[in-house]
Amino acid sequence: MPSIVVTATPTVRPEGAIAVLRAGTGDSGEGLTPHFKIIEQFEAANPDIQVQLEPVGSGDYYARILTQIAAGDPPDLLQIGDDAVPRFVDAGAFIALDDYITGGEHPLDTSIYLPGVLEPGRWNGKQYLLPKDFSPLAVYYNKKLFDEAGVPYPQDGWTWQEFLDTAKQLTKTDAAGKVTQWGVQLPGPWTTGFEYWVSAAGGKLISEDGSTFTGYMDSPEVQEAVQFYADLYNKEKVAPLPADMNSFGGGNTEFENGTAAMRIFGRWPQAGLRQNPNIDLGVVGMPVGKQRANVLFWGGFGISALSQDKEATWRFLRDYTGIEGAETWKDWALPTVKEVADSSGLSTDPIEGVWLNELNYLAPRAYVSTPYWGETADPALRRVLETVILDPQANVAELLKTAAQDAQSALEELP
Amino acid sequence: MFLKSRAARRETLTFYLLISPWIVGFLFFTLGPVLVSLGISFTRWNLLTPPVPIGLRNYTRMLDDRLFWQSLSVTFRYTLLYVPSELVGGLLLALLMNRNIKGIRADRTSYYLPTVISGVAFVVVWMWLFQPEVGLINATLSRFGIQGPRWLADPRTALFALWMMSLWGLGRNAIIFLAGLKGIPKELYEAAAMDGAGMWQGFRHVTLPMLTPTIFFVLVLSLIATLQTFTSAFVATNGGPLDSTLFYVLYLYRKAFQEFQMGYAAALAWVLFIVILLLTILVVRSGQWWVYYEGERES
Repeated sequence: MPSIVVTATPTVRPEGAIAVLRAGTGDSGEGLTPHFKIIEQFEAANPDIQVQLEPVGSGDYYARILTQIAAGDPPDLLQIGDDAVPRFVDAGAFIALDDYITGGEHPLDTSIYLPGVLEPGRWNGKQYLLPKDFSPLAVYYNKKLFDEAGVPYPQDGWTWQEFLDTAKQLTKTDAAGKVTQWGVQLPGPWTTGFEYWVSAAGGKLISEDGSTFTGYMDSPEVQEAVQFYADLYNKEKVAPLPADMNSFGGGNTEFENGTAAMRIFGRWPQAGLRQNPNIDLGVVGMPVGKQRANVLFWGGFGISALSQDKEATWRFLRDYTGIEGAETWKDWALPTVKEVADSSGLSTDPIEGVWLNELNYLAPRAYVSTPYWGETADPALRRVLETVILDPQANVAELLKTAAQDAQSALEELP
Repeated sequence: MFLKSRAARRETLTFYLLISPWIVGFLFFTLGPVLVSLGISFTRWNLLTPPVPIGLRNYTRMLDDRLFWQSLSVTFRYTLLYVPSELVGGLLLALLMNRNIKGIRADRTSYYLPTVISGVAFVVVWMWLFQPEVGLINATLSRFGIQGPRWLADPRTALFALWMMSLWGLGRNAIIFLAGLKGIPKELYEAAAMDGAGMWQGFRHVTLPMLTPTIFFVLVLSLIATLQTFTSAFVATNGGPLDSTLFYVLYLYRKAFQEFQMGYAAALAWVLFIVILLLTILVVRSGQWWVYYEGERES
């Protein structure tokens, strides 16, 4: 797509004047504390720059920054999530950072980062955003329930078959045949999380050039992934049906209540799970299918193409997402910088170390191949997942065939 | 004659003076965006890059858009379910509120109270009630050995559940009906009673005809508002499962602010505007057959 609507004219800052930057974030409430802390430290060390944080409630975040961009007045620094990167970058909302990273007065050594955390901010071979925080997937398990059932704890590198067997062993029914304890709580029809199953089965949802869904989305590998996932709900009956199809993660509460032995999800609810009296928490890597795989959920910062003072913004961004920032972020989320993860002991922690180790097995995301994932394949795949969860008789091969065709025609109909 | 026309002129002037805040607001804040949105509907625009004119393509595209038809169908089915229930339920509630008994004020307040709760908070509370395993509704049903439906998580019951949820807001219209009921002169009932009319005949031949202007007013407003249903589905289901609660305005919002297809979204908005306009004209036209204005008889 061609360039941005409004082209900013950079203003030259007179000697001694203070630059005021605006930073947009989708975080809110408690989540703002680390932002303020980093900003305070940065301003103390850089008296010529002031940073104003502009938080927007998460639901409206993209709508808000889009209207700000359309009006020609977005924050200098913008936070966006991994799945929004292709669309925003492709439309020219961000500037490439490569010249700042390698040259200039304030270069950045990108070898400080953990494996895989730079990739989501990259588009067409250039780095547009730097990482703020991230989470892969993992399996939470409740040691209490494993001990009760006399089932050994899952081990890193376990297979899909071992995962299924464990879930079966931990599913209990009463005399009336009603399930009283579930093997695993799954995240429902969550499309972006489902890509783990596709990658682990050796499949792909889209061709690498981003042009084709047919032959990918409906391939035998994807069929196998969908069938395995659907069977956990309806054939093996080791997973409770989603209580709320629309809620992030399926809206179930069984794991929290101590009536599900395992849960597949990201790191987000971990702090609460650790304090939950029903749970003695363990975390293990995702089970291995045809291959070992995981997917990354990610938030990062980039410099708006309309920023009036890109040089000053870069100096802040470099701190915000570099070693200085990571020292603060580490108390709130997993740090992106290897040195910080090691020195804080997180890399060897029995729980946090699992999340960090999963970074070695990341599969490329389908939406890095097209800026139109959201309106083409995502709704088609979601329909498949909702159908197989709701309908035990669903024909997976047929559904995927239709979904691939729907996604394909949606893609071709786009400008 | 002169005096009367002067009074009429005065009345006209007062009318415009009183609605002037609205007119000013409309001209400055609404009319402009409305016209611009018509222009946008003939373009392709993602907000980030300049709009590209594409003629009528956004409008022709709807014909082949499965979700456009689905959202239209969901919206119409819901409207057919909700508008009659709002009229009948609102009127029944108003009749309850119109009794001359002790403590009626507290009663009225309690009927109206749910309407005061903000949309989102109210939807979230209902989502807890509808929770399929531990929610109040299914937990109660299971005490009696009944396995309740999965409500919002099942495409067969989700729209129905949203309808049940919305009935909580009947109090809003009940207040309008109550005002209408209060405006019916007592003499009419006395005269009817003298002619030997019972409760039902009084309702059928006095209350209903005298209330038709109110019913008409509520019908028009309810129709317009229901065709634009958004909040409950946006919060509770986001259109799912399997698009069973994909309301038209929710689809429009998704196109505009999640998929950034501003041109298509604007076209959708104009189609909805025309649909609502036509239906409203239809209802207004039908009014001459069933709406009775007391003033008309006199003149």
